[in-house]
Amino acid sequence: MRSKPKWLFPVLALLPVLGLYACLRIYPIAETLRLSLFKWNIISRRKPFVGLDNFVELMSDPLFLEAIFNTTIVAFGVLVITIPVGLALAALINGRQGLRRSGFYETSIFLPHVVSLVPAAMAWKWIFDARLGPLNALIGWFGIPAQAWLFDPALSLVCLIVLCSWQSIGYAVLIFLVGLKNVPEALYEAARLDGASALQAFRYVAIPLLRPVMLYVSVITLISSYNIYAQAFVLASDVQGAPGHLVRVLVLDMLENSFRNYRVGYAAAEAVVLLVIVLVLTGAQFRLFRDRSRA
Amino acid sequence: MDFIATSVGTFGYPTSPGKKRHAWLSAAGLLAVAVALPMLASPASAEKLTIWSGWPDLVPFYKRVGDQLKAKYPDLDISVEAIALREHEKRLALSLPSGAAGDVIEMEVEAARYLEAGLIPEPPASIVEFVKANYDMTRVKTATYEGKIYGVPLFQGQGALFYNTDTFAKAGLNSPPKTMADYTAYAQKLVQRDTSGAPTVSGWSLRLSGGGSGIAEKYWTILYNFGGTLLEEKGGKWRAAYANEAGRNALKQYLDNVVTYRTVSPEMKADAEAFELGQTAMFIRESWVIGDIAKKAPNLKYATAPLPKGTLMVPVDLYVPNKGPKSQIAWDFVQKANEPENLLWLLENTAWVPNRKGLDYSAVLGKIPQLGAFVNTPADHVFFTVPAISPASEILTRLAARLEKAFTDKSLAGNDAGIDAFLKSAAEESDKILAREDLLAKP
Amino acid sequence: MSDPDHPSSDVDRNAPAGLAIDVVLFAVGLMMLLPLVFLISNAFKTPPELLAWPPTIIPDRPTLENILGVLHETPLLHWIGNTLIFAGISTASVVTTSAIAGYVLGKFDLPWFPAVFGIIIATSVVPFEVYMIPLYLNVQAAGMLNTLPGLLVGYLVMSFGIFLVRQYVTTSIPDELLEAARVDGAGEGWIFLRIVLPLMRGPLGALAVLAFFQAWTAFAWPLVVTTNKDTYTLEVGLALFQTGFTVDIGHLSAAAALALVPSALFFSLMRRNFVRGVAGTGLKE
Repeated sequence: MRSKPKWLFPVLALLPVLGLYACLRIYPIAETLRLSLFKWNIISRRKPFVGLDNFVELMSDPLFLEAIFNTTIVAFGVLVITIPVGLALAALINGRQGLRRSGFYETSIFLPHVVSLVPAAMAWKWIFDARLGPLNALIGWFGIPAQAWLFDPALSLVCLIVLCSWQSIGYAVLIFLVGLKNVPEALYEAARLDGASALQAFRYVAIPLLRPVMLYVSVITLISSYNIYAQAFVLASDVQGAPGHLVRVLVLDMLENSFRNYRVGYAAAEAVVLLVIVLVLTGAQFRLFRDRSRA
Repeated sequence: MDFIATSVGTFGYPTSPGKKRHAWLSAAGLLAVAVALPMLASPASAEKLTIWSGWPDLVPFYKRVGDQLKAKYPDLDISVEAIALREHEKRLALSLPSGAAGDVIEMEVEAARYLEAGLIPEPPASIVEFVKANYDMTRVKTATYEGKIYGVPLFQGQGALFYNTDTFAKAGLNSPPKTMADYTAYAQKLVQRDTSGAPTVSGWSLRLSGGGSGIAEKYWTILYNFGGTLLEEKGGKWRAAYANEAGRNALKQYLDNVVTYRTVSPEMKADAEAFELGQTAMFIRESWVIGDIAKKAPNLKYATAPLPKGTLMVPVDLYVPNKGPKSQIAWDFVQKANEPENLLWLLENTAWVPNRKGLDYSAVLGKIPQLGAFVNTPADHVFFTVPAISPASEILTRLAARLEKAFTDKSLAGNDAGIDAFLKSAAEESDKILAREDLLAKP
Repeated sequence: MSDPDHPSSDVDRNAPAGLAIDVVLFAVGLMMLLPLVFLISNAFKTPPELLAWPPTIIPDRPTLENILGVLHETPLLHWIGNTLIFAGISTASVVTTSAIAGYVLGKFDLPWFPAVFGIIIATSVVPFEVYMIPLYLNVQAAGMLNTLPGLLVGYLVMSFGIFLVRQYVTTSIPDELLEAARVDGAGEGWIFLRIVLPLMRGPLGALAVLAFFQAWTAFAWPLVVTTNKDTYTLEVGLALFQTGFTVDIGHLSAAAALALVPSALFFSLMRRNFVRGVAGTGLKE
């Protein structure tokens, strides 16, 4: 048994997984980069090389620019809501650990994250409904006139942000909770002995220690918000009898270009732009959080 | 990955052997369920004919045809898979190249791209004869490629005016509008407002948002009735034709109704839903609304009227995309669907207008007079179609995105120069798409 | 959830503040649940009540018609079955591949391993939708559209899972333990199966929950890979059901409410293990 080389087991064990990665991740990513340089309509045998033409066209494509704009607004909107609210909720729940009701808090806040998107979006679609929805009933009590939530281009963006935040807060709270539990109680005690209030202790003891967790949550939130699609699709689904305003997001525009306009190369170019945006933002987040933790 | 570092977990305890066996057992049980479920779910059947439709309201029709076919094929199992039209188009795009499509499929003008790519086999000679004998060749255009017929027309979508006769009577109107100018004048008389002046029942429900390319198709219909058209053909190539007076008049009509006279607003319920709820006095739509009203608002008093000049017509044709032993059954199904008795049933029960020549509509019209505007159109009424070119849907989608913004743009109301600039820039975009696909005609 | 590190006496010391926190949390919890409550309540409403203004929270005359109608009109249970199988196999695959790769990358020192790990993590930053189309074309070429393997292709591995396991293995499994087993003559496979795997139950359980819900809520991929009503997953079936010709809020809500049941059930069963499992991997500095 000793005679077997030491590297044999790890290499043999790893190979199948690496094979899966090569086929299911690395190859398609590389292929996307390649397709973005071609013009191709899925069914034709002709697939001419067009260089950077697709990218040049994207830069002046109003629908694509609208999609980037909308997606960015939604992604940052979700981020700005999710991180502080998630952190605050996690801190409050952390203070109630050990009580039976904390189970209810965790479950109710996390449940939206694991509910299928479509039922969730349907529920919200009804809430936002201009004529029958409870939201307009609610603001009616305060004397605010009914709003066409899903028809107005600006308001439908708000709706999308609310829906996506509702889904992502649960995950953020959970990860923050895990992070908070790992903050040694002794540190809080020390801060309290120095005369810090609970809020101050949280601000100066927990937050700095939570920075890596915050980085993780914000990277995940931003990546997943740049990928939204189902939510927009369902909120504005074009039911023949009563269509609503469609918030054009990147993935939706990509799918429309590849499967309705039959422009696979062009859609791949969009995918490459999405990839660059996500990479740049992830890099920026790393830099932001790392610099702060050094300071 | 330095942002997550070391800590000793609290769960590193080994399990007792008994516990472990239990875990393996439940895992095995789960696997067994996983294997058994799909087998339970799909009963083996030798002859299963799958019909792919983009119109969920047609399911009963196809089932009926399938039942009739059982006289000839007793073991036949018919599965009708009808999903929303856009999804149906997508599944065709995805499955036709790989040969994974249903046995009988519906296609509209997009058939051209698949015919061109050689993805649809030719039908047997008997089917070609059947089509030649029973259909007006102008209606078979979308199913024809290089002079050969590939599919069988079934029904067509065409627009007409729907109007609420009670609302009309209340406004002192006893006949439908005749000219496009009438439409706006009528809408002003028909609209009902709350105390603040905001419309509560729209005078004329226009397609102002949603449905992607649908916005542009509806605009096209109004444009046509002003004497214009969206794309014109010159020697097999195409060109945007709406940056002119007709285009301006059509857009102006929207702006008049939305911005100037406020006979309708974008946030109101619209379309068939609004009509069924009594929240609009009139709107232009295809005949399926008749079937929908019968189901959802059977007590609604309404009538229909043809549009002033003509309407966009969308023919829906049936194809058999797969060769092989089942294709004969599939063609039998297609032919069965087109028997006069079935087509009249289709008209009466779904209100879709059949394509076949020489059908006797009198009995159905006696029961549903509103179908008259669809089957008895005036002799000079024009049916025009979306050109069978691949970028058609992209052109419509992009125009629709621009129109949706323009319809509510206050700065365009009463501003002819602004409207012209808008149309010019939109038409340039349409032409650019045509040029990209090498389909742009010279001016 | 009890936690020995944070005694609750601390909370009881300042009861008024604690009460205020409870009120806030309770309100937030209710708000988060409210959309789902509306959904479930709509599922039991009659058509006239659905059109009533203002909307009600508790149905006046609850009816089962919507739910029975949906079960009759759509293969909803079949879709739920499809999704359970899909999510189940995906979870098994993700847990297996993550356990192996995470352990190997965490405990063996080959010179090119850090690079491999780096690539694996880098792919997780790439959104799935970015490379979905080439993956689709391959699945199509392989004739796997509308099949379970085709559906699974997108969900067999999970970079976060490998990361999580590697993290746990390097921090919580001492090298000495493995060395001792090796000295006793144990084979590497035996060590992995009999020593390492049992120790990883916590993080693997947490990972299973994440993987399950990732597959359960998958949308864009199943939407393009399944084009046949019999092979839809729940998400796709529901989405297409609602884009049908005309709207029926009662039926839609009923379908959506039924779809809620499995995920809510699964999560409430797994909640404790999940939180502790993630905590055990040491997400801290």
